[in-house]
Amino acid sequence: MSAGDVNQALLADLKANGADFFVSVPCKLLGGFISTLEQDNEITYRAVNREEEGLGICTGAYLAGRTPVMVMQNTGVGTLITSLCSLGNYYRLPFLMVVSHRGSPGEPIGAQVPMGTAVETLLQTINVPTYMFSSPSDTKKIGQLVPFASVAEGPVAAILDYDFWGAR
Amino acid sequence: MRRYELLQSIAPLLTDEFVICNLGFPSQELYSIRDTDHHFYMLGSMGLSSSIGLGLAMEIDNTVISIDGDGSVLMNLGTLSTIALEDRKNFILLIVDNGSYGSTGDQPTHTAKGTSLAAIAKAAGIASSVEVAGVDAAEKLAECLKTPGPHVIVAKVEPGSPALTPIPLSSLAIRDRFRDAVKQART
Ligand SMILES: [Mg+2]
Repeated sequence: MSAGDVNQALLADLKANGADFFVSVPCKLLGGFISTLEQDNEITYRAVNREEEGLGICTGAYLAGRTPVMVMQNTGVGTLITSLCSLGNYYRLPFLMVVSHRGSPGEPIGAQVPMGTAVETLLQTINVPTYMFSSPSDTKKIGQLVPFASVAEGPVAAILDYDFWGAR
Repeated sequence: MRRYELLQSIAPLLTDEFVICNLGFPSQELYSIRDTDHHFYMLGSMGLSSSIGLGLAMEIDNTVISIDGDGSVLMNLGTLSTIALEDRKNFILLIVDNGSYGSTGDQPTHTAKGTSLAAIAKAAGIASSVEVAGVDAAEKLAECLKTPGPHVIVAKVEPGSPALTPIPLSSLAIRDRFRDAVKQART
C-alpha cells in the first residue's frame, strides 16, 4: 500500500464508522493524512493550535451530536492529560484520538524518544483504552474504534507508528 | 460589582441561548442564580470554556455564550485566533475579568497588572472585542445578542464570591441533559 493509499483508507474507514468531525495538530507523519482531511468535503475539519483546545472543540461538537476525532502527535498527549481526565474521562465523552508515534523505531530525532517511550503508559495510567498499530492493513480495526469509543463511553487512542505510515 | 452580581444582571437576558460556564465559583454562582438544561457546567479542564463553546457554535444555530474567566483565558489564548478564523455569527465569549484566580484564593492574574484581553482578542482577529465595566456588561451583552458575532466582551469586576456549595449535579447528568436540550433545539 502506498503512503497516499493508507491516508485514503484510514479516512474512509473512520467515516464508514461514523466519524464526521475532525481536528488536528500537525505532525510530519500526519502530513499526508491532514491533506486528505483538508480535501474531504463530507466532513468538518479544522486545524487547532493545541491538543487541549482540540479536546474542547471536540467536546462542543459531541454535545451537538457529532462524532469527533482528534488527529495529533504523541507529544501532544503530554499537554492533554489533565483535560483528558477532568473533561474526557469525567464526563465520559466518546471520541477517538488518532495519534502518530514519533520517538519509536524509525525516528531520526533523539528528543522525540522520551515521549515516544512514555505515551502508551501515560494513556493507560489515566485509563484511556489505547491500541498500537503498525500495519497499513489495520485501517479497518482503527475505524472500528469510533463506535468502540461510544461503547467504552470515553476517549480512546490509536497510536500509529512509522511502519503504519510507511515512513521507514 | 463582583462576578455574582454581574451574572445576576445578565441572567434575565438568557432565553434559548446555550451557555458553557467556567469551572469553580462561576458555575456555582450561575447555578444558584438560574439553572436550566441550557447550561453546561464545567467541573475541570480549566481554560476550555471558550473552546467547548466554539465547537458547539460550529454545529448549532442557537447563540452560544461561553462564560470564561481571565485566568482561564490566559491559559488558552490560542483559541482566540481559532474563534477569529471560525467567524461564527452565533458565538459570544463573555470574559468576567476580576484580575484574580478567584477559585483558588484570589491570587492576582496578569490582567490585574496591565494585560488587556480585549486587545489580545482584537489582535487575534475578533473585530467585536470590547472591555466594559461590570455594570455595563448586561447592556453590552444585550446588544451583542442582537448583532452577528463573534463577540468578545471583557467585563471588569471586583474579585470575590458569596459562599456557595458545589453544584449538586453529576458530570454525566450535566452532559446528558445539555445534550438532550441541544438535540431538542435542533429538531
Ligand atoms: Mg478571574
